[in-house]
Amino acid sequence: MGSRASTLLRDEEIEEIKKETGFSHSQITRLYSRFTSLDKGENGTLREDQVNFRGFMRTLAHFRPIEDNEKSKDQNGPEPLNSRSNKLHFAFRLYDLDKDDKISRDELLQVLRMMVGVNISDEQLGSIADRTIQEADQDGDSAISFTEFVKVLEKVDVEQKMSIRFLH
Amino acid sequence: MERKRLASEAAARWMLGTCLCLLLGAPVVCALQGPLLLPPDDTGPENASWESQETHNNESSEHTVFFSLDYQHVQVPFEITLWIMLASLAKIAFHLYNKLPSVVPESCLLIFVGLIMGGIIYGLNDKSPPVMDSDIFFLYLLPPIVLDAGYFMPSRPFFENIGTILLYAVVGTIWNVFGIGFSLYGICQVKSFHLQDISLLHNLLFGSLIAAVDPVAVLSVFEEIHVNEKLHILVFGESLLNDAVSVVLYKLFRSFCEMSTIKTVDVFAGIGKFFVVGIGGVLVGLLFGMIAAFTTRFTKNIRVIEPLFVFLYSYLSYLTAEMFHLSGIVAIIACAMGMKRYVEANISLKSHTTIKYFMKMWSSVSDTLIFIFLGVSTIGDNHEWSWSYICFTIIFCLIWRALGVLVLTFFVNRLHVNTVTSKDQFIIAYGGLRGAICFSLVFLLPEFPRKKLFIAATTVVILFTVFVQGMTIRPLVDLLDVKRKRESAPTVGEQIHIRFLDHLLAGIEDISGHWGQYYWKDKLEYFNSKYLQKFLLREYDQPKSSIVLLYEKLERKHAIELVEAGQLIHEPSHTSLLDSHRSTVVVKESDSMNPDVLENIQKILSRNLYRIRRTVPAYNRHNLPGESGTAEQAKEILILRHRSLRVHMNRSDSDHSRKEKDDSYSAHHRFETKPKLCRSLTVRDPEKVPDLKCSRSKSMTFSSPLQPGSTELLKEEETEKRSLAEIEIYTKER
Repeated sequence: MGSRASTLLRDEEIEEIKKETGFSHSQITRLYSRFTSLDKGENGTLREDQVNFRGFMRTLAHFRPIEDNEKSKDQNGPEPLNSRSNKLHFAFRLYDLDKDDKISRDELLQVLRMMVGVNISDEQLGSIADRTIQEADQDGDSAISFTEFVKVLEKVDVEQKMSIRFLH
Repeated sequence: MERKRLASEAAARWMLGTCLCLLLGAPVVCALQGPLLLPPDDTGPENASWESQETHNNESSEHTVFFSLDYQHVQVPFEITLWIMLASLAKIAFHLYNKLPSVVPESCLLIFVGLIMGGIIYGLNDKSPPVMDSDIFFLYLLPPIVLDAGYFMPSRPFFENIGTILLYAVVGTIWNVFGIGFSLYGICQVKSFHLQDISLLHNLLFGSLIAAVDPVAVLSVFEEIHVNEKLHILVFGESLLNDAVSVVLYKLFRSFCEMSTIKTVDVFAGIGKFFVVGIGGVLVGLLFGMIAAFTTRFTKNIRVIEPLFVFLYSYLSYLTAEMFHLSGIVAIIACAMGMKRYVEANISLKSHTTIKYFMKMWSSVSDTLIFIFLGVSTIGDNHEWSWSYICFTIIFCLIWRALGVLVLTFFVNRLHVNTVTSKDQFIIAYGGLRGAICFSLVFLLPEFPRKKLFIAATTVVILFTVFVQGMTIRPLVDLLDVKRKRESAPTVGEQIHIRFLDHLLAGIEDISGHWGQYYWKDKLEYFNSKYLQKFLLREYDQPKSSIVLLYEKLERKHAIELVEAGQLIHEPSHTSLLDSHRSTVVVKESDSMNPDVLENIQKILSRNLYRIRRTVPAYNRHNLPGESGTAEQAKEILILRHRSLRVHMNRSDSDHSRKEKDDSYSAHHRFETKPKLCRSLTVRDPEKVPDLKCSRSKSMTFSSPLQPGSTELLKEEETEKRSLAEIEIYTKER
């Protein structure tokens, strides 16, 4: 069901993806078969909104674990997609719905509401959101910018937390 | 009013206590009559004398007797029932005092009761109380527990971790057996301990029966300490599967004991035997499972006896495996896991409930009886004491288990995807409890001079592990947890973000395919849908009508959910009202947060944040699935999602154009919906009917992506029918 689709992926494409995301050849092949089995309509994209395989891989690349040999390697080139900063950026973008590079109180409230049960009233949730912003906010704009977000999570082992060990 | 209620509560408890004491007396009386568990031949001559006395009395009186006592007639069932009654009443008594089960695990309390009983019987009878017969244990008491464990085993975590589990079960047990055997032999060589007559083979034999971790003991202790799902399944799975290894080794060494010379051929035969036992057990189990599923295909007109088939076939698989000297435990687990999916699709809802309840009941009774008998059998003249041997046995058991876990985890972490943390390793090593299986095996040993020493050592190890390790494991778990938390002292923001990341990760893991084991699962699902389901499921050959049935079922469920949603929202809990009142007042008064409010917030968060799938154990020993808080959580999330779905469907058109611009952001959302959409019922496509059944049977595996991924899914637009299918899959899982 899944493995027969690997022939549709050309070698040049695999090389490109490998360079961009850092996955190995076999990982890319396997993720491709996963992609095609998710893609029931078989039109090369997930849902009608044109997320192709490249986009899929790019997003998953954020979750690749950081290996030791990568840390010292490439200081001059572009930062790999799975660096700590990029991982945090990914999470930040999930909060930041209106793309203004700030997590406002409303955006935070929305995420909180999704994570918490129905027993919490809006006022309570509001005070939790206020507290969160207050703890993080350093420049006094009542919103969390990316640098403030990074600072909040500095004690957390994000590299380990936001990583999936894709099998080779 | 309160005082009256408390007083009546107290009165009820006193009454129960007195009943229990009276009941304690009853088995004592029975024991005085004659040991229950000895073969019935012994009571034969007694019977005869009793009867002759009666006839003698009758002849002398020559009146019709209104009231007579004929105890011998009902002795055996009467005593069995009394023992079971004692066990169950003891259980009620423990749970009346809420604090007690949290401090002392139930198994300890039960052994304690057994010890008291044994002591009473010994004191009154002045000879050993009835010893638990190995046959009774292996044939009657053990199968219900293992069946219950196998039937309710959460198959997804089990198969995800199967490599690790097998490694621990097989290699770990062999490591333990040889380690303990050889080190005890080394101890025996020391002249001052007077143990030199125990040969290496005897030591290895002893090692093989003492090294195996016992599922009964592990289950009863672990279900109270609520470790995360992965850890639970590791210890639990290991304790179930190591039966194959320990049975083989035990029988192997026992046959070696009886053979005069041992050739290398025999050793290799032993290794080969292990594979035969394990794989043979699995095959026997699967065979009976398939037959059971096939049988239930035809039970439409006699719904009443459907539950019986489940139990009969599982028991048959156990007995058949034991008959061929294969591993009965592995067989019964394979049978239960194999037939579960098909049987549940075929039988009626009521039969399903019956099966669940009966299984829980039987396994609970068996469990209690085993521990009580363990306590009773401890008292008596069966023991020979040797300080050195026994102490060293305990020490070596602990050391070798710890070493084994460390070494194996090292390999596991290098090869495997899921890492086992050091805290988990400690729990695994410390949670290696021995229990009744060792006890029964030691009684099955052939008679040789040191047998009583072995019995004593086994008893001490079991008591030690159950009491000491069982009681201290919970505080240790808490201690390890607490230490970690205190180091970081998370802020509210950290907590929220960490939880957010957990949800995110769980969703991404699901998208990327369950850590690569998707391939095999996929293959199995394909095989399943193509061949097995046609054969084993009843309604497969009428696709059209089943769509209609399913759609109606969904509509009904949808209506029920909406009504319940209404109920949920109109009933805010009192505490949250009070809290919100207080906290808002405080916030308005001052700019900075008081420590009160902060504590409030922390409490609210810890209580109310949805637990992600990975940390919630899906399987709980004493509750049926669907009755714990996680089901409520799932329902709530679903209802929330429904509400915002409607909101979003109205807003979606305007947002659609804006969302299309975002590449990575929306991409992320898009394919989080995809797993659900693909697997859900698409009612409009009749040709996707095979998927229909797939979705139902995949419900165990694919409904869970719905749960944590839902936080992101809320932002997506969906059609009504897909969400209905979701409900179906949800409730199917629960």
